[in-house]
Amino acid sequence: MSDSAAVLIARQYDDAQQQRSAADLGIWVFLATEVLFFGVLFAVYTMTRFNHPEAFASASRLTNITLGSINTAVLLTSSLTMALGVRAAKLGLSRPLVGWLCTTIALGIVFLAIKATEYYLDYGEHLVPGLNFAYAGADRHAVELFFYLYFLTTGLHSLHMVIGIGVVATIAAMASRGAYSPAYFTPVEVSGLYWHLVDIVWIFVYPLLYLVSRS
Amino acid sequence: MSAVTVPSAASYLEDGFSLWSWLSSVDHKRIAVLYAISITLFFFIGGAAATLIRLELVTPTGDVVSAETYNKLFTMHGVIMVWFFLIPSIPSTMGNFLVPLMIGARDLAFPRLNLASWYLYIAGGVFTVGALLMGGVDTGWTFYTPFSTMFSNTHVFAAVAGVFVVGFSTILTGINFIVTIHTMRAPGMTWFRLPLFIWCMYATSVIFVLATPVLAMTLFLMSIERFFGVGVFDPALGGDPLLFQHLFWFYSHPAVYVMILPAMGVVSEIITCFARKNVFGYRAMAYAVLAIAIIGFLVWGHHMFVSGQSIYAGTVFSILTFLVAIPSAIKVFNWTATLYKGSISFHAPMLYVLGFIALFTIGGMTGLFLASLAIDVHVHDTYFVIAHFHYIMVGGAVMAFLGGMHFWWPKMTGRMYSDAWARFAAILVFFGFNLTFFPQFVLGYLGMPRRYHEYPPEFQMLNVLSSAGASILAVGYLLPLCYLLWSLRYGKPAGPNPWRATGLEWKTTSPPSTGNFATVPVVTEGPYAYSRQERPDER
Amino acid sequence: MIAHPVSTAKTYIFVWLSLLGLLLLTLGSAFLSLGAFNAVINVGVAFAKAILVMIFFMHLRSGHYILRIVAIAGFFWLAILIGLTFTDFATR
Repeated sequence: MSDSAAVLIARQYDDAQQQRSAADLGIWVFLATEVLFFGVLFAVYTMTRFNHPEAFASASRLTNITLGSINTAVLLTSSLTMALGVRAAKLGLSRPLVGWLCTTIALGIVFLAIKATEYYLDYGEHLVPGLNFAYAGADRHAVELFFYLYFLTTGLHSLHMVIGIGVVATIAAMASRGAYSPAYFTPVEVSGLYWHLVDIVWIFVYPLLYLVSRS
Repeated sequence: MSAVTVPSAASYLEDGFSLWSWLSSVDHKRIAVLYAISITLFFFIGGAAATLIRLELVTPTGDVVSAETYNKLFTMHGVIMVWFFLIPSIPSTMGNFLVPLMIGARDLAFPRLNLASWYLYIAGGVFTVGALLMGGVDTGWTFYTPFSTMFSNTHVFAAVAGVFVVGFSTILTGINFIVTIHTMRAPGMTWFRLPLFIWCMYATSVIFVLATPVLAMTLFLMSIERFFGVGVFDPALGGDPLLFQHLFWFYSHPAVYVMILPAMGVVSEIITCFARKNVFGYRAMAYAVLAIAIIGFLVWGHHMFVSGQSIYAGTVFSILTFLVAIPSAIKVFNWTATLYKGSISFHAPMLYVLGFIALFTIGGMTGLFLASLAIDVHVHDTYFVIAHFHYIMVGGAVMAFLGGMHFWWPKMTGRMYSDAWARFAAILVFFGFNLTFFPQFVLGYLGMPRRYHEYPPEFQMLNVLSSAGASILAVGYLLPLCYLLWSLRYGKPAGPNPWRATGLEWKTTSPPSTGNFATVPVVTEGPYAYSRQERPDER
Repeated sequence: MIAHPVSTAKTYIFVWLSLLGLLLLTLGSAFLSLGAFNAVINVGVAFAKAILVMIFFMHLRSGHYILRIVAIAGFFWLAILIGLTFTDFATR
């Protein structure tokens, strides 16, 4: 594929290579901040679970392991399609690029739909703290804390998914207009990195919320 | 090094005169000036709160303000001074202005992100000042639970929202500096030819990006608990208030290193220029800066020795706190060695720097007393702690900020100010500072608690001394405002390098043009190639 | 013009299959009663998946070394937060 898009070098950079290096490092530093941002929730989870191990085990059994596991597979697949999209951009394959990006978006929407279903079911079972939480067993407070963390963590994660879908959709629109070429595909790569990070967050969230005690 | 570049473009100050040209500028120098004006405004708001505090403490009884109002005063003083003055002060003004210049770049890596940082800072400030105008917050700047989540009836959320937003301002600045320093150094500018100010900006930025996200999430969790009554900080619900403290201090201790590291960078730049000597032990200084940043993340539990934290964790944090003093001490020794056999002159920037070294040393040593578990049991939450951190943050960071403003004012504005007035102000600040805060060490040692609007009558004399010192300090802070602003109109033109300093920023015009350098400079030697024979211009 | 080597589609698909395999491993092992070892497997598998994603999908392996340092630093600092805080909770 020929690339008609010339590389626009911003005023502050000496050359395209420097611009590319800056973008790469910038997004990775930003991803590190996201690790620490979500990381607080993992820290809170760790301390609270340490203090209430049985309650967290009981609470985890009330999560929907089928939907959660399917969602994990969906998200891992979306990372594959995103990686294939970035690869297409590197090779200058515009049509496959748009295709892979749209597939990624579709999988993201599937993830959110499944999540919404889970939330709906959780609401029906009175598991939403601050709204209608009711639990008859022992350690009621600690179980409520588990679900507080569950909704907070998956909610923030879903918000990041929505942002990611928006970003990828914008990139897909630009790609369909031929904005990217092997000489310039940095926005595709940067959005890909963000998408993979959101996937990595879920990779850690999944076992901590769904798999605490299933035996 | 390459010769002085001949400007073909107008200076950055003349590149557009409308207000919009300033508010929409992505030029790092203009953004630095925007920050300088904003932080000065917040400094005086925080200072007004301090004035009322010291006024109240002149007498033992609570006769100026009520106890509730007093709580709001020290909270707003802390919140504004920490997040809206100290943390952004040097990085967002001098850092923004100087980082590209010192490394030979045309601008930062992400100029639009830089402007976004300033707007986030202003938005955060609006929330926080809004909280102030709506009646204030009384939780202390530390927002401890359960008071902040369950019992305070003040505008906690507005203040916390302000801090949350301004946190993102610093995260973006940190990302910008890290990327700029890594990828945009001029040819020949290797890591060990960087000015130490850049090393300090880099270490500060690492702290910004690793610590601030934790604060953001912690404040978010605290706010949710306040609104929904469910959360992990309430023991009645299975939570733990100490969890809040761990998360809060994980950010807030490194935050104090954010406040001091840039100041140390300023000191290194000024002391080499006015001693006409290369810094002693450049590599040790650079490594010490990194060590402070890293070890500074491991010591936060020293704020929690008497909170109910386990004694074993307390011991670990105590040992680590002793460890972090070592690189700081190395820096003080190396600055002293830099002075030794130097050709020293006492222009205003140097006076501030010499004051910094003395006061930072005192503040640092008293930190070691606090790091000792047995001593801290007695002086925690007393004026000893207040004196300790004010020696570092005011005697250290604010003095360095003023020194830096005096050193780079000619570069930023193209004007010289009256050195006689500046030296007088510096001496007044040093004297006023010590009179304000040294009595507080004694007060704390004698047992006067902090955050109390009244106290036993036997403490009055020391409090009166402290308040008297504060009035002198206030004059010392107002003077630079006067003569620096005066110099904008009537000051002598500075020329490119009035101090005959080394460093790429002095190779440009004063003030620099928008693009900084007409041609990219090539670096062939270290940052402090001073000759002891040559003195800075006598003025 | 391409600065970094381009992975083949086959590589990506192989990584994806490994990720799904690890998912089945962690899911399956959750139904076995292994006591504390369950948590070890779960967290270990999560790290393995994350590392696969970072090395292959996020091109950490071929990028500049500073990117690897940044990635490691993020996780290392989180470990400091969790680990040092835990020293308090575990020893009260």
